[in-house]
Amino acid sequence: MDFDLKEHQQMIKETARDFAEKEIRPVAAKADEEAELPEGVLGKLGELGFMGMMLPEEYGGAEFDCVSYAIAVEEISRGDASVGITMSVHNSLVCQPILDYGSDEQKKKYLPDLAQGKTLGAFSLTEPEAGSDAGNVQTTAVLDGDHYVVNGTKIFVTSGGKADIVILFASTDKAAKTKGLSTFIVEKGTEGFKVGKKEDKMGMRGSGTYELVFENCRVPKENLLGGEGDGFRIALKTLDGGRVGVAAQAVGIGQACVEAATRYSKERKQFGKPICAFQAIQWLLADMATEIDAARFLTLKAAFLKDKGLRYSKEAAQAKLFASEAAVRAAINAVQVHGGYGYMKEYEVERHFRDSKLTELYEGTSEVQRMVIAASLLK
Amino acid sequence: MNIVVCIKRVPQTADAQVRVDSSGKDIEKERLTFDLNESDAYALEQAVLFKEQSGGTITAVSVGHPDTEDTLRMVLAKGADTAIRIKAEDFDELDGYKTAQILKTVIEKAEFDMIFTGCMATDDGYYQVGVNLAQLLGIPHATLVSSIEIGDGAARIKRELEGGLLEHDEISLPALFSVQTGINVPRYASLIAIRKAAKKEIAAVGQDDIDKDALVLNTQIEELFVPPVTKRAEIFSGTPEEVSGKLADMLNEKGLI
Amino acid sequence: MAEILALVEHRQGSLRDVTFELMSCGRKLAENLDTRLTAVLLGHNTGEFADDLKTQAHRILVLDDERFKDFNSESYQQALSQVIKSENPVITLIGHTAFGMSLCPALGAQLDIPSSTDCLDIEMNDGGLKVIRQMYEGKLDARVRFRESPSYLVTIRTGCFPAEDGNLQAEIVSSDLKAAEPQHLKFIEYLEAAVGDVDITKADVVVGVGRGIKEKENMAMVEEFAGMIGGVVACTRPIVDAEWLPKDRQVGSSGKTVKPKLYIALGISGAFQHTAGMKGSDTIIAVNKDPDAPIFGEADYGIVDDLFKVLPALRDKITELKQ
Repeated sequence: MDFDLKEHQQMIKETARDFAEKEIRPVAAKADEEAELPEGVLGKLGELGFMGMMLPEEYGGAEFDCVSYAIAVEEISRGDASVGITMSVHNSLVCQPILDYGSDEQKKKYLPDLAQGKTLGAFSLTEPEAGSDAGNVQTTAVLDGDHYVVNGTKIFVTSGGKADIVILFASTDKAAKTKGLSTFIVEKGTEGFKVGKKEDKMGMRGSGTYELVFENCRVPKENLLGGEGDGFRIALKTLDGGRVGVAAQAVGIGQACVEAATRYSKERKQFGKPICAFQAIQWLLADMATEIDAARFLTLKAAFLKDKGLRYSKEAAQAKLFASEAAVRAAINAVQVHGGYGYMKEYEVERHFRDSKLTELYEGTSEVQRMVIAASLLK
Repeated sequence: MNIVVCIKRVPQTADAQVRVDSSGKDIEKERLTFDLNESDAYALEQAVLFKEQSGGTITAVSVGHPDTEDTLRMVLAKGADTAIRIKAEDFDELDGYKTAQILKTVIEKAEFDMIFTGCMATDDGYYQVGVNLAQLLGIPHATLVSSIEIGDGAARIKRELEGGLLEHDEISLPALFSVQTGINVPRYASLIAIRKAAKKEIAAVGQDDIDKDALVLNTQIEELFVPPVTKRAEIFSGTPEEVSGKLADMLNEKGLI
Repeated sequence: MAEILALVEHRQGSLRDVTFELMSCGRKLAENLDTRLTAVLLGHNTGEFADDLKTQAHRILVLDDERFKDFNSESYQQALSQVIKSENPVITLIGHTAFGMSLCPALGAQLDIPSSTDCLDIEMNDGGLKVIRQMYEGKLDARVRFRESPSYLVTIRTGCFPAEDGNLQAEIVSSDLKAAEPQHLKFIEYLEAAVGDVDITKADVVVGVGRGIKEKENMAMVEEFAGMIGGVVACTRPIVDAEWLPKDRQVGSSGKTVKPKLYIALGISGAFQHTAGMKGSDTIIAVNKDPDAPIFGEADYGIVDDLFKVLPALRDKITELKQ
């Protein structure tokens, strides 16, 4: 048992923090206001290796462990969770399934550019009638010669409007329910693939969320990821890893809240003393810091199990559940510590308040995480 | 071009409260973060730029305590090829000159065309180690360097003088350059470079390799203290609106706006 | 008692202010130690300089050579080391300037004389030589004791010893030491930094910004404010390093010196490298979140608060007043 970070992990933490402090955090409010990521930030992250953190070096990746990845996502999200979510989806939900299930040709074709951030990836499973209920996916893919013909509409796709490739889930056999779900790599510009409306979100506004529309979209047969009917398994396994990423984002937001509230409580004076001298404020700070530390340890534990090649579905769900709820509480308390100012956009906690909520909702709501955890206990 | 870069790990004090410790001669370090000295980051980047241009190797050297290895490892990830930590814990109290003497014993064994240092360390602010070192090694130096172009056996440099004036000089190589901030844009370490650097050995040199008794300590800190207040601004207090009102009125009365 | 030496600094045909500050410091030391102050003047055709310094020192030692016309750390070091060896001064004072920084540590190492740089104050008594230096970016001062030595080298921070009229009658002595041709270092020329469209040294109102401005986008707000009060925007070194403003807007020891009627320091901590260039302003106002920021030691009026809250409010108040 050892709580010390390894040398490379400490260096990644330092680099990610340095980058986030200089390149991301100063422009986070602008990204939020304009609902656009800071210009060039993904390219820079790509050049530094943050967009292919766990990919092998042969594909241009940095070949790091999941613990390192969780540390990086936390630090980047501490700067701006919108950048964190973009990086996390790209790494966990796009690079990872191609690495795990892709053919040699697919890996060689897509991973090097993804790893360097030259291309951006999106993951599209959710539909109006199918979120966590993946068996109810309505989008269909029908084999026609050398192509699958895809029809359907996907929603809530992170980076969907900007993505160069989309990991798409469609049913190749509706009667088979979850067993008929298949996964495809769809390139931007494929005939019949259209980007629909951009969602106007409460938080994480820097990260664009889109509807994707497939109308007789002809996807080459060789872009099937894994085999027909493998989709459900791919989705579940991919989302386990994704949950570690979401948990790390939540920890990053929570950490930013702890720091902002602590800083403000020392600066703000009322009744002739800084408000941090009041026990009411101290208790809020103590609770926030404790919960965020606990969330971090759960997150790193799940990442650690993944690195060991052990089962980590339950731990990933626990980390995601606890970290996202802790982040929301930390954000609420951080606004409280700021008083009326915390409700104003001049203060970053206002953004954290809105950003944090999404971590409880996407890649499985808190309720779904509890189902996963309970199922694992009762098995 | 073989280049030696001298670096220092320093407490980050710009935005931190700095308190004198119980000895009265040092500061409380527990709550401070430490990192590469600001101008040293520019010195390193300058070395890496030259290496990218014309090959060669970069050796980073630091006189520091064990945690300096963390800083040296980041320096490796940002482009240095090898790193040497000279164990500060072996050499008792240090000042700028003693540090330079220690650096000299290690650097004189290396092959180099150029030495880069930062122009000053933000902790003790000596502006001294680089020039001391050049003199001890018997090579020319330039301080406050804000631009360097390497020619055949010599470098054209610009130094920053006061008042925004620059001094343009030619200096023969090998030479030592103590560089100003702003001379370049220091890079971030890439993750692939971090992976490689994390596994690298950092050589350690200590009292077994350097004759301690030959080192001279010129100066010792007798006391650290908070600077006496000679003048203190009249502080306006209140909400931003209130203080702005008072300030605007004052400026108006004085005819300044 | 051996003498005090002080190095005359000049550039482009003019004596620099720091020279007179060194003489003030040197006279004070000489008086306390009951000894004499010698100004060491390296230059070419230096008659005028010697005249200007006549009342400032007991003796002016002149080394006249064309090679001393412009500062060259190599030839200056070579000559000064000879002077120190033959004169055996107890203390040699040099300005903590771009010249002094190159010269003093090299001389110290060459002659094995203990040296200290960037000293704010200096005292010499039976306990030996002690100096006051700043550490940790101006947040603390240190009293530093030298090892015992017959001779010491010290560089003095500019602005610490105000220039004063002297009442001495210096004996002017020409040295027959000649400059050696520098082997390694060749002075080529002085280059003026590129001049932009704004000359901050001519403005009556200067709004200075420091690290506290946080991001480039916020510069627009400051520009607007400065424009409203008829001022220009200047800055600290980190803002130039980040390329948010050009070099000719930098105020401080490696930038310009400004003496406007009004200087408003926004998010500037107050490191001496900056304040050296603005403390001569008639009225200084500082806005900074950190109540311990050294800038409040330079300012006449201060506001301890977030500049992003104060600036908009101040803008509104001034607009009101103007109507």
